[in-house]
Amino acid sequence: MSNIVFERVSRQFQRDGLQFPALEDVSFEVRDREFVAIVGPSGCGKTTCLRMAAGLEFPSNGNVRVAGQTVTRPGPDRSVVFQQFALFPWKTVYQNIEFGLRGKGMAQAQRRERVTRHIELMGLQGYDSAYPHQLSGGMQQRVAIARSYVLDPGVLLMDEPFGALDAQTRTVMQEELIRLSRVNPRTVLFITHAVDEAVYLADRVVVLTRRPGRIREIVDVAAVRRTENWDRHERIEEVMEQPSFVHLRTGIWRLLREQQQPARL
Amino acid sequence: MREGSDRGIRIAVGAATLAALAALWTAATTLEQWIAPVYFPTPQEVGNALRQIVLQGYADGRLHEHFLQSCKLVLYGFAAAVSVGVPLGMLMGWSRRAEALVNPAFLLLRPIPPLAWIPLAIVWLGLGDAAKVLVIWFAAFVPAVINSYAGVRSIEPYLIEAARSLGATRGMMVREVLIPGALPLVFTGLRLSLQACWTTLIAGELIGAITGLGHLLYQAGLDLYPAMIVVGMVAVALAGGLMTALLAWAEKRSMPWRTS
Repeated sequence: MSNIVFERVSRQFQRDGLQFPALEDVSFEVRDREFVAIVGPSGCGKTTCLRMAAGLEFPSNGNVRVAGQTVTRPGPDRSVVFQQFALFPWKTVYQNIEFGLRGKGMAQAQRRERVTRHIELMGLQGYDSAYPHQLSGGMQQRVAIARSYVLDPGVLLMDEPFGALDAQTRTVMQEELIRLSRVNPRTVLFITHAVDEAVYLADRVVVLTRRPGRIREIVDVAAVRRTENWDRHERIEEVMEQPSFVHLRTGIWRLLREQQQPARL
Repeated sequence: MREGSDRGIRIAVGAATLAALAALWTAATTLEQWIAPVYFPTPQEVGNALRQIVLQGYADGRLHEHFLQSCKLVLYGFAAAVSVGVPLGMLMGWSRRAEALVNPAFLLLRPIPPLAWIPLAIVWLGLGDAAKVLVIWFAAFVPAVINSYAGVRSIEPYLIEAARSLGATRGMMVREVLIPGALPLVFTGLRLSLQACWTTLIAGELIGAITGLGHLLYQAGLDLYPAMIVVGMVAVALAGGLMTALLAWAEKRSMPWRTS
């Protein structure tokens, strides 16, 4: 079982000798095979949450556990998809996807079978030997997602993975991700600032306050998705026009709005 | 199609420029004699000097002997500097501890111009090849270190984080992330190193050598022989250009992702 537990997690940053709090007393759980999205105003510490689950940063207080183990360092059981794709520019599509499997010491034949399967799964056939800079942003992010999925990680950590894509590509990728998580459900922690993306993808949405980030509310989307049967719709825009979807999205939007700094003129 | 004709035009313009320069040279030295032959040789004199040094030799050696001797010293010094400087620079870029350890000494040595090492090198190693290789090593070492250091530092932090969370082994991190990531700047360093090697070598050979292009230039200067000076200068340019071209070829070969 792979879950992620945040237990009374706080994080302070030091800058110019001053300490300032980024995250305060955050507790929540991403259950096994649950898709949880964190939304919040910029600078509220949502990316910090993900980086702590990845083992790239550590809490100042409290505890982050993945599959029962306190996170002490990064590892392939907690694969990260970065907003900037973070593909190795000097490796081909195939070599990028294969990278983590080689780290695990998997035999070559087995690696080839797995890489090929994930190239097909992400619709990257024919691009095996292309270099990242030869691909569009959407294709690059497909490679990055394949590079994470191929490791069969216990949890997937996605840090605004579609933030750098244009609106149409983003929509396609969101539909792909839903499809992928049907075929192969994973424990996912997903960071975004787009409320409709969070509601469309996630089972639950964690809403953070502005800095220092605290949990404002945790919204259960899965229950609504089930009762309203959103999954009968294939297209994102069909889901998004459901009154139940609009209702949830507006509710979260209001929570974020109340976090806005009053404008100073 | 357009690019092809652009290229053709470029080559034609280049050839025309060279032809014009040659005509100007001939006119200035031979036909009109604007420049006295004592200061700059005529094309014919240069041709004679070239024939002399290729066939009979000059300054204790034929042209290919001077040429190969100089290339040999540059290659030794360059190879020694690169094989120490690049790993050291990369280590300093990767590890703060290594940087803290090495940087003070490096900062102290760095402002010393390479040629200032010549007297000490002669005291230590005499007038032979070893002293020159040592001075070349000093000259090439600094740019190799600095640029390898900057190369590692220039790698996007998220690439290193991605490698770590994909479970890269230490060897994979070095061979497949740090080295290829640093490579563009490492090659910038190698180009600068190579230039420094030639500058230093010629200076070193001017001071004392038995053969070599710098020695040839020195001797031609003593003999007030402008045609031979020009031959020596062209030979230095050719040797340097040849090595730079080899380096550019290696650069292209080792980074296929940049050209495709």
